[in-house]
Amino acid sequence: MDDSQARKFQKDLNAGLVALVLLAVLDRTSEDLYGYEIAKRLQRASEGEPLFKEGTVYPVLRALAAEGLLTSRIVPSYAGPPRRYYRITDDGRAVLRQWSEIWHRTRGFVDRFIEGTEL
Amino acid sequence: MSASAPRSIDEYLKQLRAALEGEDPALIQDALYDSEEYLRSEVAAHAGKSEGDVLELIASTYGAPEEVAAAYRATDAQVSKALRTPPRPTAAAPASAWGKFFGVFLDPRAYLSLSFMLLSLATGIIYFTIAITGLSISVGFAILIIGVPFFLAFIGATRVIALGEGRLLEAITGERMPRRPVHPGPPATLWARIAEMLKDRRTWTTLLYFVLMLPLGVLYFSVAVTLLSAGVGVLFAPLAAAGASLGWFPSDIHATVAGIDFDQYPLVATLVCLVLGVLILTLLMHLARAVARGHVRLAKALLVERGA
Repeated sequence: MDDSQARKFQKDLNAGLVALVLLAVLDRTSEDLYGYEIAKRLQRASEGEPLFKEGTVYPVLRALAAEGLLTSRIVPSYAGPPRRYYRITDDGRAVLRQWSEIWHRTRGFVDRFIEGTEL
Repeated sequence: MSASAPRSIDEYLKQLRAALEGEDPALIQDALYDSEEYLRSEVAAHAGKSEGDVLELIASTYGAPEEVAAAYRATDAQVSKALRTPPRPTAAAPASAWGKFFGVFLDPRAYLSLSFMLLSLATGIIYFTIAITGLSISVGFAILIIGVPFFLAFIGATRVIALGEGRLLEAITGERMPRRPVHPGPPATLWARIAEMLKDRRTWTTLLYFVLMLPLGVLYFSVAVTLLSAGVGVLFAPLAAAGASLGWFPSDIHATVAGIDFDQYPLVATLVCLVLGVLILTLLMHLARAVARGHVRLAKALLVERGA
């Protein structure tokens, strides 16, 4: 029993969850955040082994911005290349509410089976 | 490749670029940009440690180059499926050759492409002027101390314009172009930065593109205006002919189309005009789409850095 199966399961789960978490992070904060900051917040929040690599955050941010759920602006930085700061849009908030609802339903459904109350 | 873990930011980016080989150059540019933002921020956050030590940590937090490359590949594939290729109205009814031929009038990209052809004269003149003026002033200033900041500002401006041009072309054709500027690299001295710009193939191909835009713009504009006026003119010729027969114009004008006299065969002549006018305009729309597609390929070759 190696953990390649565990990794694959985690990866499949993350496909949609990373986007949900990113929307939630940007919804909760009043300031605009750039990729590195967001990645660090996620890292601090994870207990033990992080659930996903921080490198996967950036392409999802870009995809969300391309779909109009986030807006972004570029700010010059001393530490390196100019940073791209993200902010959630009204469309993004609407999608977040919808997705949170789906997440709660899914979690409740899965838990009922795993904990064996629904057999 | 995973055998040798990267020991520096440059090495990491080189490996990431290798792992993305064969992908869209615009995607590669974005991925390198994002990674560099993270890596430099991370190195800056660990001020006491060496770059090599920080990169060792990064393999477990940010991900190895291959993992990051896989994430970009996967996300870009999803995004392209979701929104990069909006369903074309013509695709809904691919039925007949006629449908395909005239379906071009339902394709928003055809109209955008036509506007691009009409606009290209103006942008061509502007780009050409910027490139030639900037280049000649740079050469003239080269012996003075202000030549250095001027050259830097000039090349920086061409990169910003090139990014804008890419965004415009992506909007028109749907072909992916970079969404981020190429970032200038690690902080370096002015001289090192200038030397790098002079050595960078893209600096020169961008200027070449700007210069080329003038003749191309003239060509696109002329072709578009000629066909547009010919098509509209022929289409409305029957009205003019009717006006002539009503005595609106001097009576010695005899309208003929393809050798058919309007006075003798008004219906046949009108029909020929309508068919010819619609044909010319339809061909123009197809031509505009083809020109925009060809042009974006040229722009990609000259404005976007090749991966590898």
